[in-house]
Amino acid sequence: MELSRRSFLAATGAAGTGALLGFLGLDLQPSVAYAARTVPKRGKVTTTICPYCGVGCGVIVSTAEGKVVNIEGDPDHPINRGSLCSKGSSLSQLAMVNGEVNPRRLTNVLYRASGSDKWEQKTWDWAIEEIAKRIKATRDANWVGEDADGHTVNRTEAIAALGSVFINSQEAYVLTKLVRALGIVYNENESRICVTSAVKAGGESVGRGPMTNNWIDLRNSNCIMVIGCNAAETFPISFKWVMRAMEQGAKLISVDPRFTRTSAKADIYIPMRTGTDVALVGGMINYVLENKLFQEEYVTDYTNAAFLINPEFGFEDGLFTGYDPATGKYDKSTWKYQLDDEGFPLRDDTLQDPNCVFQLLKTHFSRYDPDTVCNVTGVEKDVFLEACEAFGVTGARDKAGAIICSSGAAQHTQGTQNVRSYYILQLLLGNIGVAGGGVNGIAGASNGLGCTLQGRLFHVLPGNLPMPASKDVSLEAYLARVTGSASKMENTISPWMGRPKHIISLLKAWYGDAATEQNEFGWQYLPKIGGNYSFVNLFEVMNAGTIKGLLCWGMNPAVSGPNSGVIREALQKLDWAVVVDLCETETAALWKAPGLDPSKNSTEVFLLPAASSLEKEGSLMSSARWMQWRYKAVSPPGQARSDLWIVEQLMLKLKELYAAEGGHNAEAITNMTWDYGTPPDVHKVAQEMNGYDLTTGGLIAGLGGLKNNGSTSCGNWLWCGSYTEEGNMMARRDNIDKSGIGLFSNWAWAFPCNRRIMYNRASVDLEGKPWNPEKPVIKWDSATARWVGDVPDGGPPPGKAYPFIMKPHGRAHLFGMGRVDGPFPEHYEPWESPVSNPMSSVQSDPLLKAWEDKKGTREEYPILATTNRVVEHMHAGGMTRNVPWLVELQPRMFVELSEELAAEKGITGGDRVVVESARGKIKALAVVTKRLQPFHVNGQVVHQISMPWHWGYAGLSTGDSANLLTSRVVDSNTMIPEYRAFLCRIERDRKGVEA
Amino acid sequence: MKALLIDTIRCTGCRSCQVACKEWNELPAEETSFFGGPGYQNPKDLSKNTWNLITFNEVKLNGRLKWIFGKKQCMHCLEPGCVSACPVGALEKTADGPVIYHKNICIGCRYCMLACPFQIPRFDFDSPNPYITKCRLCHDRQEMGEIPACAKACPTGAITFGEREDMVREAQRRIAENPDKYHHKVYGLEEAGGTCVLHISSVPFEEIGYITDIPNEPVCANVKPAMKAIPAVMLGAALILGASYKFRNRTRDEEPAAHG
Repeated sequence: MELSRRSFLAATGAAGTGALLGFLGLDLQPSVAYAARTVPKRGKVTTTICPYCGVGCGVIVSTAEGKVVNIEGDPDHPINRGSLCSKGSSLSQLAMVNGEVNPRRLTNVLYRASGSDKWEQKTWDWAIEEIAKRIKATRDANWVGEDADGHTVNRTEAIAALGSVFINSQEAYVLTKLVRALGIVYNENESRICVTSAVKAGGESVGRGPMTNNWIDLRNSNCIMVIGCNAAETFPISFKWVMRAMEQGAKLISVDPRFTRTSAKADIYIPMRTGTDVALVGGMINYVLENKLFQEEYVTDYTNAAFLINPEFGFEDGLFTGYDPATGKYDKSTWKYQLDDEGFPLRDDTLQDPNCVFQLLKTHFSRYDPDTVCNVTGVEKDVFLEACEAFGVTGARDKAGAIICSSGAAQHTQGTQNVRSYYILQLLLGNIGVAGGGVNGIAGASNGLGCTLQGRLFHVLPGNLPMPASKDVSLEAYLARVTGSASKMENTISPWMGRPKHIISLLKAWYGDAATEQNEFGWQYLPKIGGNYSFVNLFEVMNAGTIKGLLCWGMNPAVSGPNSGVIREALQKLDWAVVVDLCETETAALWKAPGLDPSKNSTEVFLLPAASSLEKEGSLMSSARWMQWRYKAVSPPGQARSDLWIVEQLMLKLKELYAAEGGHNAEAITNMTWDYGTPPDVHKVAQEMNGYDLTTGGLIAGLGGLKNNGSTSCGNWLWCGSYTEEGNMMARRDNIDKSGIGLFSNWAWAFPCNRRIMYNRASVDLEGKPWNPEKPVIKWDSATARWVGDVPDGGPPPGKAYPFIMKPHGRAHLFGMGRVDGPFPEHYEPWESPVSNPMSSVQSDPLLKAWEDKKGTREEYPILATTNRVVEHMHAGGMTRNVPWLVELQPRMFVELSEELAAEKGITGGDRVVVESARGKIKALAVVTKRLQPFHVNGQVVHQISMPWHWGYAGLSTGDSANLLTSRVVDSNTMIPEYRAFLCRIERDRKGVEA
Repeated sequence: MKALLIDTIRCTGCRSCQVACKEWNELPAEETSFFGGPGYQNPKDLSKNTWNLITFNEVKLNGRLKWIFGKKQCMHCLEPGCVSACPVGALEKTADGPVIYHKNICIGCRYCMLACPFQIPRFDFDSPNPYITKCRLCHDRQEMGEIPACAKACPTGAITFGEREDMVREAQRRIAENPDKYHHKVYGLEEAGGTCVLHISSVPFEEIGYITDIPNEPVCANVKPAMKAIPAVMLGAALILGASYKFRNRTRDEEPAAHG
């Protein structure tokens, strides 16, 4: 080992200098591609991308004799430049611990028979055959060919597919092919419960959901506000760039109920009661409007501020016009623009008309004055005003403010509106589209975006194309519904007009020669959805016994699901479950759940050993939309196999079964294209996703090449251009930045169209001149009559297209009429709250949906609680609670509470405590800290506690799951659960039972 | 002479350095059952398997809460007390800066532990063949032109590595340019005669648990008279240890012991 390590060092010797210059705050000298200069004498060096969070750091894996001997950050990677966080630094232990294969890794196919209390070792052949048989039997016995209205729907509601956000994009894509060929509609991954609301808020406000800017771009910011996120812990390497900005004088604001490692670096820390984002940011919006800090030209030209709204629209005591208490829904007929005779919205560019969006916005947020805001949030007024001032100055044309947010903002009944408020603030300040601006963060996992965009949610196909629904009787009807009509308004693009090309090319990719004009390109093979199949409902239906089989891919709902006691109960009802993971998870060990007698559980479980990220090849997409390629460093241990291989084995076996025996909609399976070679070649999958010109057989160069007549194929239009005749664009490693603002446009490839800062047309005025000439994202070069810089968001010359091309009129939505719960954000209390809503008589979101969960009263459960993550663990812990170095750092489930509450309860640090909500009870160890403090809200003292949600009963480190306490009450826009605010009580565990 | 500059103002407490140290030096994880100190500190202390430890300190500064992450490791003194205390030359101050340790020379007398003003060296009590452990400033990486593992892993530039004089200048520059942000002291500039690990911070170092009552003179000057005062019982122990030394070095490499 010594020898191989020395040769590794010899190979990497040049790395130190570049990294050192970077650390000193000097410009990192461009260096040649790492792989090209490494010629190790022994062993080899492979580049990969870290599998943990969404930053997408480059990693160098050194291997000798087929084993991982060392892992370090990739010094040539433009984001992390050789550094890693504690998770990344521990990566080798996912493969090897003390020179041996990590003993927690699954190296064999395991099977747990009905009622058994042990795993049995099986072969792949046996498992694939048995699983395929169960899938076929369950599918065939529970087939819905037609719905009650007689529409062909071709679906089964008896099998659910879950996951993942960690597998490669190509693997997620083939998984979706398998799932949809089978007619599965209960199809969800972690993003539903993680960030869907933030994505929806982005869609409503600016047209797309993901992070607008990129990690490196944070260095261009003048003020960074981290809210609903603990970026130093959940996106650790983002802080390389936050610190860089701070060295240049930028201010950092951290908003969090708990003083975190992010807060530790902040100039201004705002301790905010959980669930009061709209009040706090609403107050900042009011401050910006009252003090005229907004960027007027931007607001007038690029948002719908000047658009006139129906004069009957109004708001009174917590409700917008049109609320029907009987149905609990809004009639949105007054939430509309006033139109002229040609159907164009009326405008007042002076922004003075009392019915214009700007005036309505001003009136709405005038109620969020500093005293009111502080009364609701518990924030001290001087701190609040200091933050308003610091962030407000970024309204200047040459200044930029960035917001970093994530699931702390998203996982609320107000999740969509929380993030909507961030977008409104940023639009007013002219901070969207510019360098150093944006709303950033969003996807937490390493491939959250890349997987989810392969159609890993029930309502979408790959590329976020809407899933066909029961009411779509034909391809024509479906296309008519999802395409929309062309905008007649001047200088606007109608982005959805391309959908027929995207959808027909997808069908050609999936059904090849079997997709013809005569059979609607195979559209009828696809299942049609007819209800709400989202995560929480999925488990409700499972609990009722409708779902009999589960395919669970790298996801662990027994720990991550809200009110996970109910989730675990539902899992017990399954006839069979297939779990694919690196280690035994709580979901795989559903029959070992605490307090359960295995002999009473009849679920058959197939636990399939998966390859880790080090052991396979493919791409993944960072939160900042970079599609990066990672290579295989070593073979998986024992019988472990890549997810691509596992999906393929299942599909081939099912094709064989259906070809031999037939079955409902069998052609959906037998005709599905599957030609990736043996063993499956991930490059072939990537090429299928990119698409082919079927007339020439060549790879499509970009979106412009797609056709709606069946002459092109494209598995995912968002990936079109990622793997062309020029090669694998995702594998590019050119780390020379020509932009001067850190775009690194030739490193990897970015969605959409390799654009590094979305909405960049908003970074220039109507003549194409950058607001901030020092940091131009794009600018119009009149000499050559073309845009220079980043890929512009819409190609027409200046003034010929408004910048928010995905919105109907090219303008961003300050007034968001698309949301079901209001065009403006309004503060409502969380479903469980210790206080009465000080803003109106409407206590909580009038549209929220609560399942049959017990609701705790303030009297019984007076303590407010939230959940959190720590840098050392990832999500449900399957990938980190089995890594000894990380377990050393964070060995046990704990709960953090203030010194004041601890004194009241007689709790001291290290005590075992019991935390109980109306839904569950957990034990944990107490951390008593100054970092939590009581809030003074509306005349009362509110104590808040916080606990990580990483633990469960399986793994090297075990502990009680925080989600046993949370509820299944969800946001009305996206069905995301309110993980981050609930009521509980806390006591010292007087029985002294092991936590 | 190379040195590390630790800037607690830049540290986010992610502990990448702590794990990277274990990765490079192949140190196994320790078993922990809860946090080993204030905040999230783990393990409890430096040990044979932990040469680099991040500490968590909640401090009030001008009425506002600060959470400051300290770094505990060998300071690699310019004139190390441990080296001068070692009767057999098992510890060596290299020309490049690292204080390194020759396991095969050590007799396990632990004088180095007594001599270290920063209380760094640890003794492997569990091993039948015990030895001293501590950070080696990735001497082996430096030999090949690479920077120490902790410095490379650090995401935020809280750990910088370079020529000592450059690191001193950089530390002083940061303080001079941000006089309100930094406490006006470079820890390690003069302590024990100066060290190859320098620290800067926003608060006085005693507030984050650093040992601050260390004279500015090299420790070695004080060690020899101190050793004269060692009671006879220790001399007896030394004899036994010396015998052990003889025994253990039967198969010793022919390579001559380096002296610092």
